[in-house]
Amino acid sequence: MARQIDIKGIRDGLLIRVSDNPEFPVYERLRRELDQKREFLQGGRIAVEIGRRPMNSEQLTGLQEIFGEYDLTLWALIADDGETRETARTLGLATRLSGSATDLDGNALGKREAQPANGDAAANRPPPPANALLLRETVRSGRSVWHEGHVVVLGDVNPGAEVIATGNVVVWGRLRGLVHAGAGGDAAAVICALDLNPTQLRIADQIAVAPNDGRGAPIPEQATIRDGRIVAEPWRH
Amino acid sequence: MSAQVLTVTSGKGGVGKTTVTANLASALAMLGKRVTAIDGDIGLRNLDVVMGLENRIVYDLVDVVEGRCRLRQAMIKDKRQAELYLIPAAQTRDKTAVSPSDMVLICDQLREEMDYIVIDSPAGIERGFRNAVAPADKVLIVTNPEVSAVRDADRIIGLIEAEEKGPGQLILNRVKPAMVSRGDMLSVEDVLDILAVELLGVIPEDERILVASNQGLPLVMHGVNGASAGEAFRNVARRLEGEDVPFLELVQKQTFMSRLKSFMGGNS
Repeated sequence: MARQIDIKGIRDGLLIRVSDNPEFPVYERLRRELDQKREFLQGGRIAVEIGRRPMNSEQLTGLQEIFGEYDLTLWALIADDGETRETARTLGLATRLSGSATDLDGNALGKREAQPANGDAAANRPPPPANALLLRETVRSGRSVWHEGHVVVLGDVNPGAEVIATGNVVVWGRLRGLVHAGAGGDAAAVICALDLNPTQLRIADQIAVAPNDGRGAPIPEQATIRDGRIVAEPWRH
Repeated sequence: MSAQVLTVTSGKGGVGKTTVTANLASALAMLGKRVTAIDGDIGLRNLDVVMGLENRIVYDLVDVVEGRCRLRQAMIKDKRQAELYLIPAAQTRDKTAVSPSDMVLICDQLREEMDYIVIDSPAGIERGFRNAVAPADKVLIVTNPEVSAVRDADRIIGLIEAEEKGPGQLILNRVKPAMVSRGDMLSVEDVLDILAVELLGVIPEDERILVASNQGLPLVMHGVNGASAGEAFRNVARRLEGEDVPFLELVQKQTFMSRLKSFMGGNS
């Protein structure tokens, strides 16, 4: 079953996709999701994609209020339903993302393909160029960073933390947590770190754990997929 | 003169938050400071027991918040020190009885009259933790030299950074020097390597801590001599006061000379 709520980082902030299925209690689920990710999302700009589900003005205001409670700003609503889009505009919400492949009414140009899904179809598309997230901090245990594009961490990635990117991941520091590069399926993605000693590495659909041998002085390493397996080797330039 | 609010927290339970709070508050009071300790662990109060003030509780933190008493009435004076007070937690309620803004309000009322307010946070990262951290000027993270405690401490540091309460300072508790020298326990350096925060104190494992807690007399208040954990707590207090105190040399090196000395000492 597809996830009912999906949060991901996009250029304009965060995109939350909500399942079409009008049966499931979306608000409750959304709150739970926001509660869990509170400190990661903090102060973010939110776009919500609701698919075919129609929403009236009252419901949209309700949605705005929920995000308000979490110190988040709802700025865009991506809807398939024309009337819902109309309502969203009267509430001052954008109805398309910048650089999206849809026209103002959102129904042209094959919008489904514009959103890479986890894995499958849009998989081998390279991440959009010049879309990199720079984190000048140590990513500590319990934090999860999801980014569509490349991620550069100027700091450590500690055990218990995870960084997931559709592009490459560079850790200018010690990598001891979990990193997933090429999360959209890009097997050419690489992971580099000044000290590569991860709990687990993932590139595209491959998973590797660090060998459990005694290590000498840390050296910069780069992990890539070679012959279908993740291999790490000393950094050469 | 306004008090500094110190919150003692850890994420993981059982690493010694309450012991650290009791000893640190006492050590600061012994330096002549005006100190109030607040037990933030509503529903599972302990600080009063460790400080030996349990039988004097009339009002507690929740009574203050809900207006059943004035703040002063809930402050139990520790007669062994000139200016040491405890605001106990309620035992019959839970964390939701107090909000983060209540804690800020209470600390603001105390600030003028105190030099330090030391808050004992409950374990976990939920409401009780947020209550305890909300008024903090400085967060003291307590951890043990074991992987799971360090992992939780890392998570806590991330959370307090998100709350913009700074990276915090670290107190490494229950270090067993002999195990560290054998390589069986994470060393101070190993822990700092992961957490990358400022080290405020290293407290050696000390059986007397347990005895002192059961007696309700914090170890720092025992005789000044001997107690190395007590010494370590006093050093933490002095560092908070801005003194540059070197860390205790914990790893005893069994040199020829020291063996010789103990040999001769045994014979005399």
